[in-house]
Amino acid sequence: MLKIEGLSVNYGSLRALTNVDLEVQDQGILHGVIGPNGAGKSTLLDAVCGRRRPTAGSVRYRGEDITGRSVAWRRRHGMSRSFQRTSIFPDLSVREQLVLIAQHLGDDRLDDIVRLMDLGAYLDQKAGRIAYGVQRRVDVALALIGRPSILLMDEPGAGLSAVETLRLFEHLRELVSEQKIVAVVVEHDVEAVFACCGMVTVLDLGCHLVTGVPSEVRKDSRVIAAYLGSAA
Amino acid sequence: MIALLIANSLALASLLIMLASGLALIYGLRDVINFGHGALYMLGAYLGYTVAQVSGFWLALVIVPILLAVVGMVLELLVLRPLKARSHIEVALVTFGLGIILGQIIIFIYGGVARSVEAPAILSGSLTLLGLSYPVYRVFLILMGLGSCALLAIWLRFTTSGLFVRAVSQDPSVARMMGINSDRLSLMVTSLSAAFAGIAGVLAGPYLSIDPGMDVVMIVDCLIIVVIGGTGSIAGAIVAALLFGFVQVAGSVFLPNVAALVPYVLLMVVLLIAPGGIGRGRVLS
Amino acid sequence: MTNRAPIQKNLRDSAMTESASSSWRVPATGAAGVMLFGFGGLLPAYLASDFTLKVANEGLLLGMLALSVAFLMSEAGLVALGVASVYGGAGYLFAIGMSEWGLSPTIAVVFAFFALIAYSGVLGALIVRTNPLAFMMLTLAAGEMVSHAVMLDAVHDYTGGADGLVVNFKGAILGVQAADFANPRYFWPIGWTAVWLIGVTLWGVARSRLGATLRAVRQNEERMRFSGFNTYLPRVIAYVLVNAVAAVAGLLHALNTGFVSPESLGLGVSTNALVAALMGGTAGSIGPLAGGLIFAFAQDEFGARGATQLLTGVAIVLFIVVFPRGVVGGVVAVLRRIAPGLVWLRGKA
Repeated sequence: MLKIEGLSVNYGSLRALTNVDLEVQDQGILHGVIGPNGAGKSTLLDAVCGRRRPTAGSVRYRGEDITGRSVAWRRRHGMSRSFQRTSIFPDLSVREQLVLIAQHLGDDRLDDIVRLMDLGAYLDQKAGRIAYGVQRRVDVALALIGRPSILLMDEPGAGLSAVETLRLFEHLRELVSEQKIVAVVVEHDVEAVFACCGMVTVLDLGCHLVTGVPSEVRKDSRVIAAYLGSAA
Repeated sequence: MIALLIANSLALASLLIMLASGLALIYGLRDVINFGHGALYMLGAYLGYTVAQVSGFWLALVIVPILLAVVGMVLELLVLRPLKARSHIEVALVTFGLGIILGQIIIFIYGGVARSVEAPAILSGSLTLLGLSYPVYRVFLILMGLGSCALLAIWLRFTTSGLFVRAVSQDPSVARMMGINSDRLSLMVTSLSAAFAGIAGVLAGPYLSIDPGMDVVMIVDCLIIVVIGGTGSIAGAIVAALLFGFVQVAGSVFLPNVAALVPYVLLMVVLLIAPGGIGRGRVLS
Repeated sequence: MTNRAPIQKNLRDSAMTESASSSWRVPATGAAGVMLFGFGGLLPAYLASDFTLKVANEGLLLGMLALSVAFLMSEAGLVALGVASVYGGAGYLFAIGMSEWGLSPTIAVVFAFFALIAYSGVLGALIVRTNPLAFMMLTLAAGEMVSHAVMLDAVHDYTGGADGLVVNFKGAILGVQAADFANPRYFWPIGWTAVWLIGVTLWGVARSRLGATLRAVRQNEERMRFSGFNTYLPRVIAYVLVNAVAAVAGLLHALNTGFVSPESLGLGVSTNALVAALMGGTAGSIGPLAGGLIFAFAQDEFGARGATQLLTGVAIVLFIVVFPRGVVGGVVAVLRRIAPGLVWLRGKA
């Protein structure tokens, strides 16, 4: 489904990502991406979804090289992204923004998303006025519209409590397995990732360390060193 | 011929640099375009005329910037700061309205006629450089322009407040977290920007003319420069000012029939090639 | 087990069409609208003096320009400071079309209109990508560019330079003669009808999906792109649309006054349009029209004292800082508080 080859992203002289190879094809499970600060996790998502032009390398989606495609094109073809800093429409009601996107992407099963993200009570409130936790859920909900084939989530639990984050992950896991979506989730909360993700990728300082099932990645010495190294 | 062209461009660009960099500074800091900047320039010019009549050109060059700096502080404290919560467009529109009001007050006081200012004796006449005869006043202008660029660069690069300005321009939220008092910084930048507009106004007297339409002409030129340079990028504004000056002067020499349109064509061409402007500015949405 | 049907149905009955939940409101407002339109169109011609009508006609045209500025502001969040170049430009092209190229009045009108559509399409394509502040600056610059272009010696024979151009109108357009257009009593119903048509059209566009898209792009352009929208095209379309309105206003102006001058495409007119929009209130269609009429009469008053420009500047500051909803917006807000259930007017609280 998603194949990243030799991906490098430089911000001027800063090397955010260096020569990353990654293949994500498991449908129906959450694929977590973790790594200490500065590992390049968000940059990876930015490059894959088209927000950043990679300095080198390519992104293949369903076999096609999409490195040059626009963000809007990718979304219309099933690649969806949610944001670390909540990005919603503050002056529209929750209902209005969900419907606006749904009408554009041709999705008429909004009720599932509303139920999943537990937004029923907030439908008619202006998005700018609801609690931050609910806004996060709206952000995720917007990304879920249109039955995307691949979901890229950037720290969906940012700003949420540990309990809320876990609950969000549970919901995501349910949705993803139900709809056989490929989901790549960048997350800081390592425990939540190990608990809920079927596969885990670890980045460190822009390089791909390891990808595997949680139980193995946990024990990988390079991963431990990377995290310890950053803690030191 | 080319040398003359370049010299004339530099002279014009010097004025434009002083004005455009002031505009770019405020934008970089507060994300606000002061549409009344042209009116400040006009105020500087007319005040310069009056002071020069009374106590001479040199005193005008000292007093007017101080007066304008005070006006800048008033602008910051009574307008920009209270309206911080409003959208940038609204603030820009308010400065637009205030610019109109200021322009009308000036016209009311001075009457709607053009004035001329004599250059002081030392600066009149011409001198011979490299076999070419060139007006002294324009050389003075170029020196002033270079001087202000240098001062600006030094300030931005080597002083704490300059560092803060650069930091806030790059990322306002982070800068605030670092404890930079952006309010005080704003006050400094706004009064500096106004003061520079004042200097430019005084300098413009003997070089261009002082007339009731000068505020509109200048704000449009400045806006074009700031957009070409990439709004918020001061280096970009300087380069754009040089480019603009050159294009304007060359246009009046080689294409006198359509000279007035040349700057606009430049603007459109730049927008076509580089929609974000030349510098690393924040023009694109 | 959640009951799917109600949420589904509610979500479909969406906020796209803010349907009135009470069935009497729509016909009642419709009837009120028709009456207002009818009386407004016919009465003044009988009741008011020629001079009052003259000012009122200017108010109508200003109202049209205000509608165009207001629409772009409230839907796309963009301030266009150069509408006058299309307004005056329409008059110029119309006049030149007839005098230089011998076009019939009707053809000349069509020519001028489409030429300006093309111009605004090209300009819009260039500048709409920038952020709102830069857009404002660029529209100002573009307006000044046209002002300069008209004054060039090279085109003096066409445009008449600073003297302006007399509109040499021989014949009729849609059966209306030149003299009729110039007659204040005759022009008022024409202008009034045009304003209403424009107002209703813009109101309709605002409530359409294009309007919803524009408003969403205005709030979060990046998220719209990330939701698969082309955020560029809707804004270009909106820009062309508002310029089309300005072109219509400009043609009516040329027909009414029989004369075009550099003033008609200058910054002063663009600023007046802005002030009228701010004064009346930028939300909805009634505000800008009211603003146009109010400002036209206010200018007439202040003109006697030579302070029109000052009025303009003060009005801008006043109606952004103190009265951001404008006169109509303010009235609506007051009415809403007095009689919450009774007033059904589109607008933002």
